[in-house]
Amino acid sequence: MKDFLKGLWKEHPVFRQLLGMCPLLAVTTSVINGISMGLAVVFVLFFSSLVVALIKKIVPHQVRIAVYTVIIATFVTIVDIFLKAQLPDISRSLGPYIPLIIVNCIILGRCEAFASKHTLKRSLLDALGMGLGFSWGLLLLGAIRELFGTGTILGVTIMPKIYNPLIIMILPAGAFLVLGFLIAIMNKIEQSQEKK
Amino acid sequence: MKEMFKIVGVLTSVCIICAFFLSFANSTTKVKIELNAKTKIENAIAILAPATSSIKKVAFDGGTLYQLSNNQKKLLGFAFLAQGQGYQGLIKILTVINPSLGKLEGIEIVESVETPGLGAKIIEEGFKSQFQNLNVSDKILCIKDDLSQNNQIKAITGATVSSMAVANILNKKIAKLREMLRSK
Amino acid sequence: MKDLVLIFISTLLINNLVLSYFLGICPFLGVSGKIESAFGMGMAVTFVMTLATSIGWLIYNLILVRFDLLFLEYVVFILVIAALVQIVEMFIRKYSSALYQSLGIYLPLITTNCAILGVALFMVTRNYKFLEAVVFGFSGGLGFSLVLLIMAGIRQDLEFADIPRVFKGAPLTLITAGLLALIFMGFSGLVSS
Repeated sequence: MKDFLKGLWKEHPVFRQLLGMCPLLAVTTSVINGISMGLAVVFVLFFSSLVVALIKKIVPHQVRIAVYTVIIATFVTIVDIFLKAQLPDISRSLGPYIPLIIVNCIILGRCEAFASKHTLKRSLLDALGMGLGFSWGLLLLGAIRELFGTGTILGVTIMPKIYNPLIIMILPAGAFLVLGFLIAIMNKIEQSQEKK
Repeated sequence: MKEMFKIVGVLTSVCIICAFFLSFANSTTKVKIELNAKTKIENAIAILAPATSSIKKVAFDGGTLYQLSNNQKKLLGFAFLAQGQGYQGLIKILTVINPSLGKLEGIEIVESVETPGLGAKIIEEGFKSQFQNLNVSDKILCIKDDLSQNNQIKAITGATVSSMAVANILNKKIAKLREMLRSK
Repeated sequence: MKDLVLIFISTLLINNLVLSYFLGICPFLGVSGKIESAFGMGMAVTFVMTLATSIGWLIYNLILVRFDLLFLEYVVFILVIAALVQIVEMFIRKYSSALYQSLGIYLPLITTNCAILGVALFMVTRNYKFLEAVVFGFSGGLGFSLVLLIMAGIRQDLEFADIPRVFKGAPLTLITAGLLALIFMGFSGLVSS
């Protein structure tokens, strides 16, 4: 159970370990993009961990990274093809950031640091925890940026009419700023927890 | 030496197994993906040229030119996909033009990843409707001030680059189409 | 020729990989602490990126397109990059120990640098011709180095600045990057095709 929970807060991949920044910043212009990206990462992370944990004994040490990357790339391609066939609109708005999951350091990092060293069950729990942790990070950032940037959540207008959207929130610059402040807030929460 | 064989063997077999799975996944979804693209284009044509009853495809500039005609076999115009670089990424525009290539029936943005709230406004009616009945005997001009001629469109405030990109992509493709039809 | 110059300028400044596509953020946050390491990383990335786009372009257009194997695109690209990094590392270790000492430690990190894979993927979606792809890869790498160097310079000056403790480290770096992205937006009027 601990393997699952640590990914959600204590070793949160985004706010604690600063992993997977590239998709995090790029696709969170809206909540729906954030959710789809999160689910795609959970899928790839889960199945890559599964395969890596199963074949870890037969893979020679020298080529393990190459083997892991090929496995990850395979699952990413499957996600990509699936989205193109079933959800073409989402596939279009996530664009190149779906294939870029291959080089998302969270996935290779978890395969290398956890799945290749632990039992199948623990690896899967770890993968789910990290994946869902990453997803809520995406969701939070997507919600903040969509709410302030366009005044909507999931396309539904929330803000009163007089609210003038802060376009900067949706621009790349806004992504950096929001994430910077979020991490500062997380640090603050952690500090006050330590004091107790 | 034995170690070497093991390394090469494992790597190769992993690649082969992965390629096998992918080709399977690919073959099961290929039809659906092509169908998606096709319906998207046909839907757009149906909106822009509602009288169309038959579409004939010919090769044009590495893509397809759709010749649209109504039920009396009268040529209504041509439809084609024009694509090019926008501000953030690729913009794909389905364009319908009249048979003499003098004016546009309209455009539909099939694909774009412009900045939400700014460049993404190119997919909204307010911008797209400017291309209906737009004169394209001369180049389309994208300007920031009020319009004075019938070959001009107004750029979206704060998204001049995306707006200009749409005009330029169309200009290039229309010129190519003109050249091809003239050489025939 | 004009197209090539346009691609160069727009990739270097306007559509900078780091500041507008968020590619290569991990090394951007990781190695931008010191100017020397930023320079080393930048050069290594530029070198591998130029090679990766050229070889990737050839393989994509001459093999994958011809034999209708497009679904292998991602697997092939990531293998090309991994192999390239390995070869470059072996090559410079053998022939130039000076170069190896300055670039060597950054090379293994490059395989998982999303900027390289990103550039390879963009080159395909944008239908670049061979020369355009090479220029795109080269200027992408230079743009990455430029931003990395600017960032390293700013961070060296900020090191002793008195800021609230919760902002130390990553938050401050991200906010600086945000401001930098705002500044780079000013370049967007530079080329109005």
